[in-house]
Amino acid sequence: MSHLINKTLWEIISQNTSDTESDWLTEKGNASPIELMTAFVSSPRFLSKKIVNVEIEEEKALDDIVPGFSVNGWSLVRLSRVWLLTQLDETEKESFIKNIETLFDTAEMNELVALYSALPVLAYPEQWLFRATDAVRSNMGFVFDAIALHNPYPAKYFSELAWNQLVLKTIFNDKPVHFITGLEERENANLALILSDFAHERWAAGRSVAPNVWRLVSKFMNEALLSDMRHLFESGQTPNQEAAALACYDADFAPAKVLLSQYSEYEKSISEGALTWSNLEFTDLNTYVPTLQR
Amino acid sequence: MCQHCKDSSAPNPSHFEEGDGLANSPAHIDMAWSEYNELIKGMRFFDPHIHMVSRTTDDYQAMRQAGIVALIEPSFWVGQPRTGLSSFKDYYSSLVGWERFRSSQFGIKHYCTMGLNSREANNEPLAEQVMEILPLYIYKEGVVGIGEIGFDDQTPAEEKYFRLQLELAKEAKLPVQIHTPHRDKKRGTERSMAISLEHGLDPSWVIIDHNNEETVKSVLDQGFYAAFTIYPFTKMGNERMVKVVEQYGPERIMVNSAADWGISDPLAIPKTAALMKMRGISDETIRMVTYQNAIDAFGKSGQIDVSDFEGGLSVEKTEKFHGNSILRGGQQPDVSKDSLVIQ
Repeated sequence: MSHLINKTLWEIISQNTSDTESDWLTEKGNASPIELMTAFVSSPRFLSKKIVNVEIEEEKALDDIVPGFSVNGWSLVRLSRVWLLTQLDETEKESFIKNIETLFDTAEMNELVALYSALPVLAYPEQWLFRATDAVRSNMGFVFDAIALHNPYPAKYFSELAWNQLVLKTIFNDKPVHFITGLEERENANLALILSDFAHERWAAGRSVAPNVWRLVSKFMNEALLSDMRHLFESGQTPNQEAAALACYDADFAPAKVLLSQYSEYEKSISEGALTWSNLEFTDLNTYVPTLQR
Repeated sequence: MCQHCKDSSAPNPSHFEEGDGLANSPAHIDMAWSEYNELIKGMRFFDPHIHMVSRTTDDYQAMRQAGIVALIEPSFWVGQPRTGLSSFKDYYSSLVGWERFRSSQFGIKHYCTMGLNSREANNEPLAEQVMEILPLYIYKEGVVGIGEIGFDDQTPAEEKYFRLQLELAKEAKLPVQIHTPHRDKKRGTERSMAISLEHGLDPSWVIIDHNNEETVKSVLDQGFYAAFTIYPFTKMGNERMVKVVEQYGPERIMVNSAADWGISDPLAIPKTAALMKMRGISDETIRMVTYQNAIDAFGKSGQIDVSDFEGGLSVEKTEKFHGNSILRGGQQPDVSKDSLVIQ
């Protein structure tokens, strides 16, 4: 796996670098671990500051090798750093782990972003679990984003507890949940419960909840969650009502269908395919500003 | 602002722990932001020496509002001696991690200089260990120099680590930010310069910090950059600063606040700029000493890209280079400090 990823990453890099840059990377990528690690740190001094261009075929190739893995929107430095990590000698487990840990321990913000971005393609994946959960604890927004959004590592390796923390913190920080890889596959009853409690606290404070998060409750619809749906319908705000309608529509719970039937125009647009969760995938969330609707 | 002017007791000095007989002359004219902001409207400032780890979010907001678009945080001691290597590591990491992020949230570009400070150079067993990890940090993105290093008590240990770090700066092709001692300052400053030249450093790559009327001439004559710290009571007042600029002109002179955990002023630069403007100093001269000279000196590191902050640091732009071109988020909302109601 690592070899294929490494090859595909290099193809993308070579289309986005000058000869001097790719020569420098080739040299460092084949150097001793210490020299390679130093290059990981100093790469902004040798590589231009730009966002890489990724062809659709390359994007697909990456996703075929590691489902969910994407380098879209990455800077050249971030991509090159991840490639360098895939070049690091991994035959001796102990020294490989020690080298990666050293990079983590002394990393600045952008290096952390690169390290967490690399987790899905690093050898000995279970070894990085604690680091990954620590990134969820980070208050450096960019570092948090590197693990939480567009990263397939958490969905694959996190426990339910760690996963739920990741989702909740994403919501709490007003970041879009639909950027979380594996969101649907990792839905669980505990998360639905916590979300309901969370919404009650928000409502008590006169704040709102991003409507898109209600997509996480439909499979677990019960009386308690249904009363939240009622609250949403009665909020008078269209996105809330749309979210409630979608959650009820997806739910396998008879009373939810009864509630939905009272809002037949939403039911109709869902069944016609006009209203889906993608209508509610906002990225400019600002749920902390008190809403007019209390 | 001037509540301490009436108080002759020592005002908790820290960065500069010794008064120099000026405690009774107020450092600033009593003038509110609303009165002086017109004077500096449209000006951009670069503070090449400020310790943000000990400042609050209120300071960040006020700095941004006053036109500070970028700053350099030199590594220093933390008010008490560190007891182990890990505290150094965590401190260095915070300068390129959490503090950098915190600053970006307020639209201010954050750089730093890395080094073993003179006080803690005296703890030799620990200093040895710090020297071993220092190379891990000096090549990092946004590290614009080795600093602040130099003399405190002017002991042999201080000299040893000062010299070692000058060599490191040469090897890494980084400028050097030199802290000059509070006691026996004049000779300490001369000695720092002599040692730098002895190690073959180009003086235009060396910034001699915390100058005063007594040290500036020699520093400029020998080709070094001369930084002045506007720090109430114990160092330069900004009225004196205006006189220095009037006398020496703008070349190779820069102003900083060195604000830290003591009574200090993160708005020292915009205030000094306003005062210069009032005293008839030209806009170009003000721009040189409060912005451009610092960029020219520390920019030799190759780590300062003015397009990052020239038009004001755009949060969207920052995020793009962390790979989040799509997300908004991240910028701290403006909160009205004068509002009784907290939402």
